[in-house]
Amino acid sequence: MDVVFNQAFAGLSIASILLIIALGLAIIYGTMGVINLAHGEFVMLGAYATWALQTYAGLGVVTALPLVFVAVAAVGWIIEKVIVQRLYTRPLDTILATWGIGIILQQAVRLGVGADSRFVSGPHWLSGNIEIGALVMSNYRLFVIAFSIMVLGATWLLMTRTEFGMKLRAVIQNRGISECYGIEAKNVYSVTFAYGAGLAGIAGALITPLFSTIPTMGTGLVVDAFLVVIVGGLGSLMGTAAAALLIGEVTALFSIVINDTLGRIAVLAGIILLIRFRPRGLFPSDIRH
Amino acid sequence: MKRREFLGHAGAFGTVGLAGGLSVPALLSGAGRAYAAGDDIPVGLLFSLTGAVAVVEHTLHDAALMAIDEINAAGGVHGKQLRAIVEDPASDPATYSDRARRLMIRDKCVSVFGSYTSASRQAVLPVTEQRENLYWYPTLYEGRECSRNVMYGGAVPNQQQDILLPWLVENFGKRIYMIGNNYVYPKEENNYCRILLNELGGEVLHEEYVPLGHSDFSSVINRIRAQEPDVIFSTLVGDSDVAFARQYRAAELDPEKMPVCSLTRSEVEVKAIGGDAAAGHFSSAPYFMSNDTPENQRFVENYKSRYGADSVTHFVSEAAYFQVYQFKAALEKLDPANLSPTAIRDAAVGMSMMAPQGEILIDPNLHTHLWPKVGQWQSDGQAKVILQSEGRITPKPYAAYPGQDCTGDGLVKS
Amino acid sequence: MNTKLSYDIIGLTLFAGVILFGVPALFSYDGFELNTFSRYLSLAIVSMALALSWGTAGLLNLGQAATFGMGSYAMAMHLKLKASGDGLPDFMGWNNVETLPLIWGPFQSLTFTLLAGLLIPAAVGGLIAIFMFRARIAGVFVAIITLAFLVAFQLLVIEQQGLTGGQNGLTGLAQLVLFGWKIDIYSVSFYYMVGGCLVAALIFGLYLTHSKFGLVLRAIREDAERTRYFGYNVANYQTVIFCISAGLAGWAGMLYALVLEFASPTYMSVSFSLAIVIWCAVGGRESVLAAAVGAILVNLAEGRLSDVFVEGWHMILGVMFLVVVMFMPRGIYGLLVDAGRVLRRKPASTKEALPFDTPLNPKQES
Repeated sequence: MDVVFNQAFAGLSIASILLIIALGLAIIYGTMGVINLAHGEFVMLGAYATWALQTYAGLGVVTALPLVFVAVAAVGWIIEKVIVQRLYTRPLDTILATWGIGIILQQAVRLGVGADSRFVSGPHWLSGNIEIGALVMSNYRLFVIAFSIMVLGATWLLMTRTEFGMKLRAVIQNRGISECYGIEAKNVYSVTFAYGAGLAGIAGALITPLFSTIPTMGTGLVVDAFLVVIVGGLGSLMGTAAAALLIGEVTALFSIVINDTLGRIAVLAGIILLIRFRPRGLFPSDIRH
Repeated sequence: MKRREFLGHAGAFGTVGLAGGLSVPALLSGAGRAYAAGDDIPVGLLFSLTGAVAVVEHTLHDAALMAIDEINAAGGVHGKQLRAIVEDPASDPATYSDRARRLMIRDKCVSVFGSYTSASRQAVLPVTEQRENLYWYPTLYEGRECSRNVMYGGAVPNQQQDILLPWLVENFGKRIYMIGNNYVYPKEENNYCRILLNELGGEVLHEEYVPLGHSDFSSVINRIRAQEPDVIFSTLVGDSDVAFARQYRAAELDPEKMPVCSLTRSEVEVKAIGGDAAAGHFSSAPYFMSNDTPENQRFVENYKSRYGADSVTHFVSEAAYFQVYQFKAALEKLDPANLSPTAIRDAAVGMSMMAPQGEILIDPNLHTHLWPKVGQWQSDGQAKVILQSEGRITPKPYAAYPGQDCTGDGLVKS
Repeated sequence: MNTKLSYDIIGLTLFAGVILFGVPALFSYDGFELNTFSRYLSLAIVSMALALSWGTAGLLNLGQAATFGMGSYAMAMHLKLKASGDGLPDFMGWNNVETLPLIWGPFQSLTFTLLAGLLIPAAVGGLIAIFMFRARIAGVFVAIITLAFLVAFQLLVIEQQGLTGGQNGLTGLAQLVLFGWKIDIYSVSFYYMVGGCLVAALIFGLYLTHSKFGLVLRAIREDAERTRYFGYNVANYQTVIFCISAGLAGWAGMLYALVLEFASPTYMSVSFSLAIVIWCAVGGRESVLAAAVGAILVNLAEGRLSDVFVEGWHMILGVMFLVVVMFMPRGIYGLLVDAGRVLRRKPASTKEALPFDTPLNPKQES
């Protein structure tokens, strides 16, 4: 029984990491229909920014978070303005262009900083574990879970309670008419892309104490993030969260019952089936596009 | 289609074409030449500088290049300088094969130094054997290979485990948890480990493989917590090892009760793991950076002054370094007019020299006699040597397969 | 329509001439250079296969590398069996496999291997196609499903070490004996064989695109719903082209395994699959000939750039690719077509083919 609880917690932890990474992607894809294959590299940039801030400015992971958000969001904003903006009429080409951007970012980091794996130490006040009976929960992972829920909540508030959020939702529904109302759709898109990138950066910052930081760390993450977004359903924050939770728990379950590799294959097969039978995802938005 | 648009497109095409055009001179290549007939001796360096394995392979490139520069600064060999031809195979076996052909066939290198992964070495093997070239492979590997065209500088399973397992069982206990990445190296090492454990009366609690690059070890840690092994026998490589060590520490497991003993963790991984998380665990390797000999001190000092004070040397970069010196020593035995790869190989057999780890010897089966050690990691990122083999250990690539033996005449089946 | 066909035929003849006569002469029939170039030619086949499904039918198959990999493993299995004589392949012994797995048995036969390398990828492509197109999955979702399939397939191949050699793939292969001809992959005759396969594939591809089948595919690409209203079974057409594309990819894979002398799961990686897309995009996905040329050019550039810029070639390729996607979306082919029109400076006559993305105006005939 203890194994089940511990695994459930493990699944929750996997889910929270998936959620933070996928949330930025979900927003970008849901809003603009842009498939951003460079999203993994935004995560990588966030990780390296955290490392740089820790090594050269002595800032801890948590203190660095807002700075990392702004830094990676700025990079995202520039990329949107210079490249992505020209490709809104060509959705399949955005896949290729963002893949190219991803390569460039990866190589830039490798050439600039080097290929070594970088060490980032987690915050000391979050080390240790909470034990409830036989259930052992890492403090840091609890923090990441809590933080991801907070980010989800903040994003939801942003979308529903702020003026910007209202403009964003208007543009998602119908860009043409929103522009007739005087909403600058271009700016909305740029800010949204930047926000999505910033979220990816935060994800990168949060995972550095757990995983290793190398220039190629993003490539593996982007496929998983995509699958979460697709399973969750276009344009639905709730869907992304549900999908992350589902995939996280199923992965944890499989890895204890069989092994990690077969587990991942099974999850992928399940996702393929899900997309086939429910292409709009778990929680499709009821907006007609 | 407006003229302006067209011009814009043509401009883009021009940029693309220019890059291609820069390469036109390189299209025409020279005809075949005899080996090292010119003013210098071409050697190939085939270590990835980009891609997933570049984290480790660029250190091998650095160490080999340093050795080549040292040799050249001391006057070269037979009065000729060594010319290092560097290729970047980008962590991709197909590219390895392509660049190896370039080095061996087009550039007529007398030897090529390269590879960290077995996959890349096996991709290079066909052209090496067909062209009778010589491939110097510095990395520890799973054994089971006996090519007459590869100089193996790294440890094989019997060299890594023969002194390690008895010591582990004696000091910690008989219940072993095996964790490794899902490919042939961990499987072979675990295979050999089981053979040794059988003799020692040990028991394998669980044998687990995770995909290469896998980073989330919550399930593994849960299982370890539940089963409470005496030793965790790890053959995780690269990112997986770093992530596992960090998560082990975050889970507050105790290295004194359940240490991780790794065959693959080196100073490179420890640097990324961080001293706190690495401390208390063990590695088995022929070389540690903290080795206290004059040769090693010179090696480490030169390396640090060239590549930065926080750079580290490890058991694979040490091998990349000494293999270049072995190559040089073999060259010196030969007649300068007859520098072919097979001649170099024959001259290298039986040669001993002083490496940073100690005095090593090249076996007729082209593997190297090494000095395995067991080190315990300290919080400063260095290892303290706890156990040292009394003599050199003979490499037996087929130790787990009775009836097969790798000898100076190739693979012999009895 | 006729004008375009004659241009394509001229183009193909020129291309065949360059590949079969010009290139060997340029390299002075040097075995090493021809061997390297034959690798580019086999990659050109998979690139043109993608152009068939993507450029003509609008189906972006991001999992093209999976079918390519199947072909290369088919060939490698045959050659591994030949190299192992009467015994088990070495890696199986090391994985504690006792007897030859059933799936390996038939690969002893060369004929079976050649057929399997074409038909098994086609069959798998067909299954995926039926799975997707019966549900009218289109556009971006095709890309994502094929990508997920690719990742799962690669993981499966790596997992089944006893069957496939795992991460290391199948190495230590024998030389291929093709109906009595022992193939030396550094020979001029091998180069001609690969070149001949490419030209044959291109002829087949051109035939498809210029036939009514190709016309219907282009209609489906433009507007699947409308084509459905005309009574065409869109799913069937999509499935067939997907199968053909997969089969061609398998063929390319077989040649690739021959050239490199091993088969590896890296042939089925996400980055390799996207590289195929890149080559197709650079050449121009609307034309199978252009896609093939694109593959050759990009790989040639990569080979030469990596010689010159050892540290930075990867970055340069990324930048070049981005430039192509942004400013040359129809690839070099699109550029040439537009150049042709600008140079001719004639008003668009009703007899000329319209540009790719012109909306059909009821007043004009084409």
